[in-house]
Amino acid sequence: SPQDQYEMYSVEMEKQGNGDMDVKIKKKKTNKAAKKKEKLESMKKEMDGCLHLTWDTLSICIQGMNSTVAGEILLRDGPNELKPPKGTPEYVKFARQLAGGLQCLMWVAAAICLIAFGIQCGQGDLTSADNLYLAIALIAVVVVTGCFGYYQEFKSTNIIASFKNLVPQQATVIRDGDKFQINANQLVVGDLVEIKGGDRVPADIRIITAQGCKVDNSSLTGESEPQTRAPECTHESPLETRNIAFFSTMCLEGTATGIIVNTGDRTIIGRIASLASGVENEKTPIAIEIEHFVDIIAGLAIFFGGTFFIVAMVIGYPFLKAMVFFMAIVVAYVPEGLLATVTVCLSLTAKRLARKNCVVKNLEAVETLGSTSVICSDKTGTLTQNRMTVSHLWFDNQIHTADTTEDQSGQSFDQSSETWRALCKIVSLCNRAFFKSGQDNVPVPKRIVIGDASETALLKFSEITLGNVMEYRERYKKACEIPFNSTNKFQLSIHELEDPRDPRYLLVMKGAPERILERCATIMIKGQELPLDEQWKEAFQTAYMDLGGLGERVLGFCHLYLDPGQFPRGFAFDTEDMNFPTSGLCFAGLISMIDPPRATVPDAVMKCRTAGIRVIMVTGDHPITAKAIAASVGIISEGSETVEDIAARMRIPVEQVNKREARACVVNGGQLKDMETEELVEILKMHPEMVFARTSPQQKLIIVESCQKLGAIVAVTGDGVNDSPALKKADIGVAMGIAGSDAAKNAADMILLDDNFASIVTGVEQGRLIFDNLKKSIAYTLTKNIPELTPYLIYITVSVPLPLGCITILFIELCTDIFPSVSLAYEKAESDIMHLKPRNPRRDRLVNEALAVYSYFQIGAIQSFAGFTDYFTAMAQEGWFPLLCVGLRAQWENDHLQDLQDSYGQEWTFGQRLYQEYTCYTVFFISIEMCQISDVLIRKTRRLSVFQQGFFRNKILVIAIVFQLCLGCFLCYCPGMPNIFNFMPIRFQWWLVPLPYGILIFVYDEIRKLGVRRHPGSWWDKELYY
Amino acid sequence: AGLILLFYLILYMFLAGMFSFCIYGLLLTLSPYTPTYRDRVSPPGVMIRPYLHGFTIAFNVSEPSTWTPYVNSMHHFLQAYDDNIQEEKNIECPAGQYFVQDGAESKEKKACQFKRSQLQNCSGIEDPTFGYSTGQPCILLKMNRIIGYRPGYGTPVSVNCAIQKGNESALKSVDFYPGNGTFDLMYYPYYGKLTHVNYTSPLVALHFTDVKKNDFVPIQCRLNGEGIVNNVTNDRFLGRIIFTLSIGM
Repeated sequence: SPQDQYEMYSVEMEKQGNGDMDVKIKKKKTNKAAKKKEKLESMKKEMDGCLHLTWDTLSICIQGMNSTVAGEILLRDGPNELKPPKGTPEYVKFARQLAGGLQCLMWVAAAICLIAFGIQCGQGDLTSADNLYLAIALIAVVVVTGCFGYYQEFKSTNIIASFKNLVPQQATVIRDGDKFQINANQLVVGDLVEIKGGDRVPADIRIITAQGCKVDNSSLTGESEPQTRAPECTHESPLETRNIAFFSTMCLEGTATGIIVNTGDRTIIGRIASLASGVENEKTPIAIEIEHFVDIIAGLAIFFGGTFFIVAMVIGYPFLKAMVFFMAIVVAYVPEGLLATVTVCLSLTAKRLARKNCVVKNLEAVETLGSTSVICSDKTGTLTQNRMTVSHLWFDNQIHTADTTEDQSGQSFDQSSETWRALCKIVSLCNRAFFKSGQDNVPVPKRIVIGDASETALLKFSEITLGNVMEYRERYKKACEIPFNSTNKFQLSIHELEDPRDPRYLLVMKGAPERILERCATIMIKGQELPLDEQWKEAFQTAYMDLGGLGERVLGFCHLYLDPGQFPRGFAFDTEDMNFPTSGLCFAGLISMIDPPRATVPDAVMKCRTAGIRVIMVTGDHPITAKAIAASVGIISEGSETVEDIAARMRIPVEQVNKREARACVVNGGQLKDMETEELVEILKMHPEMVFARTSPQQKLIIVESCQKLGAIVAVTGDGVNDSPALKKADIGVAMGIAGSDAAKNAADMILLDDNFASIVTGVEQGRLIFDNLKKSIAYTLTKNIPELTPYLIYITVSVPLPLGCITILFIELCTDIFPSVSLAYEKAESDIMHLKPRNPRRDRLVNEALAVYSYFQIGAIQSFAGFTDYFTAMAQEGWFPLLCVGLRAQWENDHLQDLQDSYGQEWTFGQRLYQEYTCYTVFFISIEMCQISDVLIRKTRRLSVFQQGFFRNKILVIAIVFQLCLGCFLCYCPGMPNIFNFMPIRFQWWLVPLPYGILIFVYDEIRKLGVRRHPGSWWDKELYY
Repeated sequence: AGLILLFYLILYMFLAGMFSFCIYGLLLTLSPYTPTYRDRVSPPGVMIRPYLHGFTIAFNVSEPSTWTPYVNSMHHFLQAYDDNIQEEKNIECPAGQYFVQDGAESKEKKACQFKRSQLQNCSGIEDPTFGYSTGQPCILLKMNRIIGYRPGYGTPVSVNCAIQKGNESALKSVDFYPGNGTFDLMYYPYYGKLTHVNYTSPLVALHFTDVKKNDFVPIQCRLNGEGIVNNVTNDRFLGRIIFTLSIGM
């Protein structure tokens, strides 16, 4: 019955995938799990269900829809466009920037300040304004760093927005029996639409009529070959059947009419896109690192603060004072500048990458790329050029290799043979593709061609080898032509000869090799027509198998000079009756085509390998093609065999092969479907070189998850909509900028503007470098927390006048030390980082124990001593001897006591003491600065001597040090500073007091590095190498 | 673990040693008699007595318990100025000129007599309540000590008092002792507590004989003289002092 015939399809999604995803979501968010599961479940059901088009509907649709009905349906279903993924509201994004772990701590500190201010104000205390300033400063710090982070995020979102194509798509629709051009978003289910070559398919369409219609499904399925569309239902899977054309795919040639069966988000593309949005974004490793680290810092800050709060209470400080101590310790201990430093370092690298055509959407992705241990790469468009290209020719019983490089820089083959001339003639003439006009100055590979992929390949090939094909065709006037169709499997045309005195016609034919061979009686070898005997047939078979085995599409070519007596000039050729010979032809040769790998890819894959990164190919294409490309780019390395290869070599059944012997493995989607996740994980463990072919979007997701289960940090590259769920699931998704679909770009964390896989290697290198440099930066930033904290501890326990104020600490954190810590991001790598294994995310932490301990308890301790030496010097030289300072705090801070005696018997007012205290702050500040200059120099390297690395090679760092000194001078000596920011102009010698400690830091670290270099693996190395 | 503790022990001992060495070196450079720098402590600040816990002197004439603490504080403070103690320990100096004592820095310096009796009505000798019992309180004003400082550059520094802000009529009259409220030059310079052992700061007594009663009267007393700074907003005790009198009847 017609109803059966028009039964559209049942969408089948991998249940395994969905089931697995449910479990994952449940694990992650228990409260949301039920809702999410329901959503996915309903989606699955909808896709499982069958879509029926009844004969009645169809007959109405011949005339097109009634526009009023269409209007109603449009109201019901909404416009035919993909809903943009629901973005987080801007205020939430901003709020998130203000509510991190450290930020919360700072809010608490600010709140304590305000409370203290309020209470002191109520008591009529005049000095309480300090607390207000501090509260304002803290809030400003949080808000400013928040704004900075938000701006970074906003900027990267904007990059993405600029990719969106804003030109509305037009579609030809038949309504009420008339043709209209309307915006594609006005289309509704049931509309009758027309598509032709060059159009984008406006919705999911059930084809009713088609003339030579071919579509490019590569963005959906990853198949690089054009797919024929026709009314017949050929497969029960909607992705395989011929009678459905999908939304957003390109119609390459021919025309078709069809009825819209799905619009907007209900299209296959829309569903995949929504599948992608259902996948949780993985946290980036650097985010995990920083979170882990912030937790520790926050914990320690609260621990220290709490301890000293209790100590202060026990010693007998009033509650309010103890609270202020708590706040001060938090301020001293929290590295306020750290997040800004990390953000700036990452964005610097992002900028550097952008110059190399990698646009980073999510800053943290920069580092993720560096820790990547597995890259799951899509084939089409990423590893390959995404254009069919002639790669091999077989003529004169020899396989010749054509130049497949993008810029035609490769070797050409011998073109002197007569056979080649004949073959070339056939290739040029028996071809319906043509260049779009006005492209004479464009290099041939880049010219736009109207025609299908293989004809385009052949046209470009002959244009390059022969010269002006269009003119050549003019000279051989076409008398008649039979285009390619799937029943004949050949294409034929008959041409007049160039020489007007030669009255013969030339018949040229190309098609499926075996069909062509059937029609041939002779074969041309070195310009001689020889009878096609068994020997030649065997030679043909061998060549055909060889080329087919390379995953290439092979076409056969033959010709025949027609007898001028039988077919004189002006003979009326009839393509319907075929009143001309189509057998007994002369076989000229085979040409095979492939979507060739990009020139830079094999090298990039090699580099990944040396960097310890496993490259896995995951494609929707055929296994043979996939394997061939994998072998040619080095994903399957030379000498690696699959189980099947071993079986074939040893002539034993596949089951008898020891699977462990096979380094390589090709798994196709069908096998994958029947596999348990554990099995897949097992296979991934067993075979280092993997190729997945014929995979669906869900399966890509499962592959990524399985790799992650192995503990790998997975990068996924892809361009199609079908890749977008996997891109999102991956630790880092890399989309292609030119070929990539919007869905892929939306789901990705990084975009390769030049679609070049090799750019990923640059990314990995930069990512690793930034990880190393962040480590240095963080070590530098952390060090000064100790000399910031110890003044408070001494102040509380020994009751000396306060050596370092909170405002001053904020200046160190956020003003003077930012630039040097950022400048460490420009540091060159200490060793060849691309020859190391990727870091183990569980073992090689960004901030490890050695780093913290070394920074805190060794360098930080030295800095504290430097600060106190300078502090006591400044105090003593002004009349307050060290022993007098001890226990002086209560009197010192008594603002009624205007005649406090110093060690010489001089009497000081409170105001004078306050300025002296500010002098101490400044002196302590300068001590920290001087030590930090030494610190930044030692942080240049972790293992090498600074002399090996070069003192001045990092120009930015040198500038940063000079800048830091200038800023220090400015803060000290700018008039007005004492009353605004509590900086006093200090004496010159107080700059010099910390110098011995600075030198000590430098020498000590050189000794440490020497020990680490000399005795790797020793106790020293373990304890002191960070 | 033991090794690392030992390592830290050595490291910190070394650091502590280095620190001690630095401080020791620092102390070697310091003179016990004259501070290296005196710029932070000059020009001098001003302080008053009685000083209990602030700059509000509030009492009720009819309730002795409200003013006895002030009186006791004054007596206690003035003990060192008792005439016989001064005569015994210090010498009489020629008035009107700085008492410069040359010679070795370490030599003990003589101090000039400042006798309690010079404060006349505020000496607490005739009226042991310093006028508190009659609602005419005495307040002593002293200038902060600064080593080597010569106030007024040859002209004695004098004191004047006025209402800080508000009604001028609340303060009708103040008597100053000794000598119209000046600090005589002979008490300067000061040589530091190590050598100038018996030095007693000269005082100026303010006798508030007619102050508005039952009200808070903010009073500002300033030093006047060359080199004296008395108008810095950030330090209200530099060359001046502000206190509040609240005398209840």
